[in-house]
Amino acid sequence: MVGFWTRFRRNRSAVLGLLILAFVILIAATAQIIFPEDPFRLAGQAMAPPGESGFLLGSDSLGRDVAAGMAHGAKTSLLIGLLATIVAVTVGVLMGALAGYYGGWIDDLLMRTTEMFQTIPSFIFAILLVAIMKPSIESIVIAIAVVSWPAVARLVRGEFLSLKNREFVQACHTLGMSDIRIMLGEILPNCLSPIIVIGSLMVATAILIESGLAFLGLGDPNIMSWGFQIGAGRTLLRSAWWVCTFPGIAILITVLAINLVGEGLNDALNPRLRERT
Amino acid sequence: MHVVKFLRRTFLATAFAATAIGSQAQEYGGTFVYIVQPEPPSLASYLSTSGPIGLVAPKIYDGLFDYDNDLNIVPALAESYEVSDDGKTVTFNLRQGVSWHDGEPFTSADVQFTVMEVLKKVHPRGPNSFREVDSIDTPDEHTAVFNLENPAPYMLRALSGYESPIVPKHLLEGQDPRSADLANNPVGTGAYKFTEWKKGQYVRLDKNENYWREGLPYLDRIVGRFIPDASTRTAAMENGEVMYGAYGAIPNIDAVRLREIDGISVTTDGYSMINPMSLIEFDTTEPPFDNPEIRKAISLALDRSFLIDNIWFGYGKPATSALSSNFAATDLYKAGLPVYAPNANVEEAKAILDAAGFEPDASGVRATAVLDLIPYGEDWRRAGEYMKQALGDVGIELELRYEDVPTWLKRVYADYDFAMNVNYFYQLPDPVLGVHRHYGTDQIRQGTHFVNSSRYSNPELDSLLSAGATEADAGKRSEIYGQIQEILADDMPVVNLFEMEFLTVYNDKIKDHATSALGAYGPFERVWLEQ
Repeated sequence: MVGFWTRFRRNRSAVLGLLILAFVILIAATAQIIFPEDPFRLAGQAMAPPGESGFLLGSDSLGRDVAAGMAHGAKTSLLIGLLATIVAVTVGVLMGALAGYYGGWIDDLLMRTTEMFQTIPSFIFAILLVAIMKPSIESIVIAIAVVSWPAVARLVRGEFLSLKNREFVQACHTLGMSDIRIMLGEILPNCLSPIIVIGSLMVATAILIESGLAFLGLGDPNIMSWGFQIGAGRTLLRSAWWVCTFPGIAILITVLAINLVGEGLNDALNPRLRERT
Repeated sequence: MHVVKFLRRTFLATAFAATAIGSQAQEYGGTFVYIVQPEPPSLASYLSTSGPIGLVAPKIYDGLFDYDNDLNIVPALAESYEVSDDGKTVTFNLRQGVSWHDGEPFTSADVQFTVMEVLKKVHPRGPNSFREVDSIDTPDEHTAVFNLENPAPYMLRALSGYESPIVPKHLLEGQDPRSADLANNPVGTGAYKFTEWKKGQYVRLDKNENYWREGLPYLDRIVGRFIPDASTRTAAMENGEVMYGAYGAIPNIDAVRLREIDGISVTTDGYSMINPMSLIEFDTTEPPFDNPEIRKAISLALDRSFLIDNIWFGYGKPATSALSSNFAATDLYKAGLPVYAPNANVEEAKAILDAAGFEPDASGVRATAVLDLIPYGEDWRRAGEYMKQALGDVGIELELRYEDVPTWLKRVYADYDFAMNVNYFYQLPDPVLGVHRHYGTDQIRQGTHFVNSSRYSNPELDSLLSAGATEADAGKRSEIYGQIQEILADDMPVVNLFEMEFLTVYNDKIKDHATSALGAYGPFERVWLEQ
């Protein structure tokens, strides 16, 4: 663990990303304390510029506090990003592990299914799914997970294919271990690092997809999110630039930070790159 | 006899119009480019009242009448009319020497065919407008006599080229009007002839050289452009690529900005015919909204001025009755009713809820409901978000639902699977045409859009509605509608929010585009372009 942190720290930008991410998480965690009121509350004068009428980052067309919306939106964005990633990684690992370990017709079946999903442009597919289901936080998580798992499945399958013929796996077979025990106890821990890296990057993609959906009006209308703020402020861009600019910057910075952290994790966990630089 | 009075009024109106614009001489020629949003499904205004069709078709088809901005009748294909003393016979004297764009002469047979075979059968509102018409006699080529079952004074307000276009009998006879080719290749008697429709881009109409109004139209050509994206439309207006956009083609937020630019103006003229009213419909058959008291509390808890000022940028007027205050012109509007207020009265709303037994629970919630929103754009979403907050303040907790148009229409008008629905209705120039459909028991028509989805049914109101429809005496009619509005204020099956004001944004080079009550749905025959 100490070695990991030393290696991670070597990548300066990753540390910066981690700091930014920690700040965003802190804001999300304390949103309820800093801004105890409902972020949808009509807090005062409409379209007040930043710093005026008691609004740090201005207010939108209904007089809602942009800063409060961003703090509560951080919670939504991170929550959806994490949930969608957990679902996508679970499904992806399961599919990839079965396909890679057993091969044959199971591999064919699962990989053809995966390819079917991969041929559909993912954002359009997500729009379609949310439009069919009612826009709500559950349907958005499901939609993001459905379009994200194939990448994990392909990666895990590749790892399983290369690991399943190694000596230590064959030794396990000789010892009479069950398939499930070999998969979960022996092979999976050995391909955990690429999964962690792809998972961390997936959180960033999930936040982007959620924002895109909310921007198009397919977000949950009852929950504050960054994409919702941008969508609601889009028409005001030329008369109240702050309404969508600040949430936009928040998305940019958060996604960038997660990508930097992902990169740092990749450097720190991937043994083949360990001696790079 | 109405004829003499009618002609005199027309002459006065024309003389007034002539002096008003006398300082500027009209110029001939030019191409007028305007926004048609969204692209119309067809140009069959005799089949559908869909907005974009109204932006194009009335330039091609004429009606028997046109209407000036004060809703006075202006003669069009009918030069004059007479109503018999019992109100049951209406005779139209038709203009002579009018021909269709294909050269065939226009006659009384076209009028008879249009009303009896087309409008009464396939038009969405025609069966209502012409429901009293039993038969139409055509004693000669230029006289059409409408024989009515009961007097129908409102019918005379439904004869514009937008509401009741006169279509050519020789091109529709013996066909199903729903599938006839005329829908895509319209042939009318109007100021402009249909020339070309490039799907996804524009529809082009050219000047009718044989138009029956001498010396008109001024323009050589009009082009309706289809531009799906709102900010692109605004940019096109700003750089002069298009010259005119009506019915919210330019969003209010951009309109208030363009208003300040030299050479571009904004007007609310040209909408007096449609009378749009925004409102909330309720499922009055299920708790909690089966109780009129909670509906009244909602009416009091909402700040109508806030909606108008912050979401519609000041364009609109708080509703003060079930009828629009524009009906004051015909003396049907009743002022001073309680429970409609421009500003919210939270305390009174809470008192009403307390008295009606809607006690707050531990977290202050008295009732919960899902609020459906009309999916016609961002403004309505903002309105929903506002209502969620405002009604939350009195203890009515809402969840918002925003779906696509077909799903929403099906939910509200076919499945009745809703509790509260934000919507807007055109009240049109007479309550019989636009308001009755909302409240009458006979208007509970499952599957038909924009009728009585609240399923409100009150026999007393029903008999007043039918009395109001057939009453010919203006004083008695005003009294009947006064009672109707009192009942509706008391029962509140629908909470009227505000009288909407649509905006027309136009380039100052465009002159005389709002001479008709129909505005953008009008014939555009007097529009001219300063070169």
